[in-house]
Amino acid sequence: MGEPTNLLSVPGYQPGKKALLVFFETDCPTCQLALPYLNSLDSTAVQVLGLSQDDETHTRAFVEQLNLKYPVNVDRGLKLTREFDPQSVPTMYLLDESGHVQSSLIGLDKAAMNTMAAALGQKTIAPLDDGTPAWKPGCGSRHLEPATQDGHGGAGDVSEESANGPLLRRIAEPASRITRRDDEDPFEYCIQKFGDALPVIPPTEAKVSAMVTASGLAAENVIARVPPVYGEATVEKIAANAVMAGCTPDMMRVLLPLVRAVCDERFNAHGVQATTHFAAPIIIVNGPVRQELGFWCKQNVFSNVARANSTVGRALQLILLNLGGGRPDGIDMSALGNSAKFSCCIAENEEENPWEPFHVDRGLQRDQSALSLFAAEPPRGVSEHTAQKGAVVLKAVCQALATVWSYRICMNHEAIVVLCPEHAKTLARDGFTKQQVRQFLFENTGVPKRLYAEKDTGEGTQLVPYYREIMIQGEPCYQKFRSAESIHIVVTGGTAGKFSAVLGSWAVGPTGSQLVTYPIPSK
Amino acid sequence: MPITLVHPGNEKVATAATPPPRLSTLSGKKIGLLDISKPGGSHFLDRMEQLLRQSYGAADVVRVKKPTYTKNAPQAIIDQLRGMDAVIEGLAD
Repeated sequence: MGEPTNLLSVPGYQPGKKALLVFFETDCPTCQLALPYLNSLDSTAVQVLGLSQDDETHTRAFVEQLNLKYPVNVDRGLKLTREFDPQSVPTMYLLDESGHVQSSLIGLDKAAMNTMAAALGQKTIAPLDDGTPAWKPGCGSRHLEPATQDGHGGAGDVSEESANGPLLRRIAEPASRITRRDDEDPFEYCIQKFGDALPVIPPTEAKVSAMVTASGLAAENVIARVPPVYGEATVEKIAANAVMAGCTPDMMRVLLPLVRAVCDERFNAHGVQATTHFAAPIIIVNGPVRQELGFWCKQNVFSNVARANSTVGRALQLILLNLGGGRPDGIDMSALGNSAKFSCCIAENEEENPWEPFHVDRGLQRDQSALSLFAAEPPRGVSEHTAQKGAVVLKAVCQALATVWSYRICMNHEAIVVLCPEHAKTLARDGFTKQQVRQFLFENTGVPKRLYAEKDTGEGTQLVPYYREIMIQGEPCYQKFRSAESIHIVVTGGTAGKFSAVLGSWAVGPTGSQLVTYPIPSK
Repeated sequence: MPITLVHPGNEKVATAATPPPRLSTLSGKKIGLLDISKPGGSHFLDRMEQLLRQSYGAADVVRVKKPTYTKNAPQAIIDQLRGMDAVIEGLAD
């Protein structure tokens, strides 16, 4: 590592002198044990500089409580943290006179601290018999904490954009309590204030408390901030919405990763919630959680069969309404809307899937429960009951795929193809792997060039210079999709009826909404 | 018996910023034009720029463009609009 460029900006740093940079967090128990020992280092031998990953208020309180004698500063924007990239805190870097790293110490390691002190010509600074452990690992560095919905690093990140603003906090106040009189109907009150225009279960303290307990987390923990108004989704607030939706407490293990997923910057709930388009988040559940919590994956999978699907999908929508502020009569500007905004949660019928399940495509283990989120248009049905060959089934799917978003728009969108078990079975019988299905659909989905006559300009025709020309069954066409990876395959539904479906996307990629997959912790 | 509910909504109270004073003239002013990257937005803003310069005597017109209409403007884009006397944000479609 070369000389850190930001080091000179650290108040109190004296160039030309050995320095010990100490990265820490104020709520890390190991930091609280380790940092006071550094008071004993003689400042003429080495300049100790504390670098806090928390805000000024917490940092000053920490310094005062531990009576730290050396300069301590907030690492604004975690700039130095990112440069040095400690994996955990405390991490100490000993720099030579020219600012180059000589050595580093991780966690509380008394022997290593004393060795370092000796190398600096100092006496022992961390007595081995003073009651603290000889060695103790620290906490994860703030810059490595899971990203929040706005793309910043962890909850304590003082990112560059927010360096001058308030920190994103990890603990919020408890939700306020609302008391309704005897003569007030709580159901009616909740419909009017917090509902999706359907009756909800009033989130009483007892019901919410049971949900919070099941989560194993403190009620005030902030899981994420929900776009577009970035309301704080604490465990308690998520629980209250889950109660309203009709969830059971054991569904909290699905709801917490679900809230993280919908607030993932890649999913871009900000745009999905505010667009004039049809898009709504569709949840796809995979793995053992389907049986454990009763997620339905057979006939009527998009309908209202199982409590798990219906209430988890609804809870997500209530969270988007109540915490994200994406109200359909307000910020949500969808021209026609989408019935999926009541609830849309399907599970894959892995037992009828001749290929690996969807979450395995997404990089997870088969026995790992998972959820995926996709900002989808309403399903387009594909009926094909008489085709004898898998390839002919796929040609029917191609026709639906060709109209995703709008019939003359190419290269800009993605789609989920929901194959019913009968179609999947036909394809597998004909030797199609899943990747071959995607490739076939990619190569055979296009829009005939004859539809782009100059006199009929419209949506998509202005983008023709970016399109790719291909031949499909002897006809010149523009290829609909950018790649085979733009087409995702999910197998689900009942075993009778040769009906599949295509779900088009909203805007995709880094400037739109990206499919996200999150693991669901096991029981 | 009264019933106590846990508030399920966002309790942060948004406070509206006070709008800056309206301009009495466009003459000699610096005007920012923000293109949000929707198709057709540039047509509208091209015409605005022409009008501002030729008919209203704007001292300067600064054009900036968001990378995508689907997300908030990045800080760097907002920074380019600092110091403007007024900003016009162009939608389209």
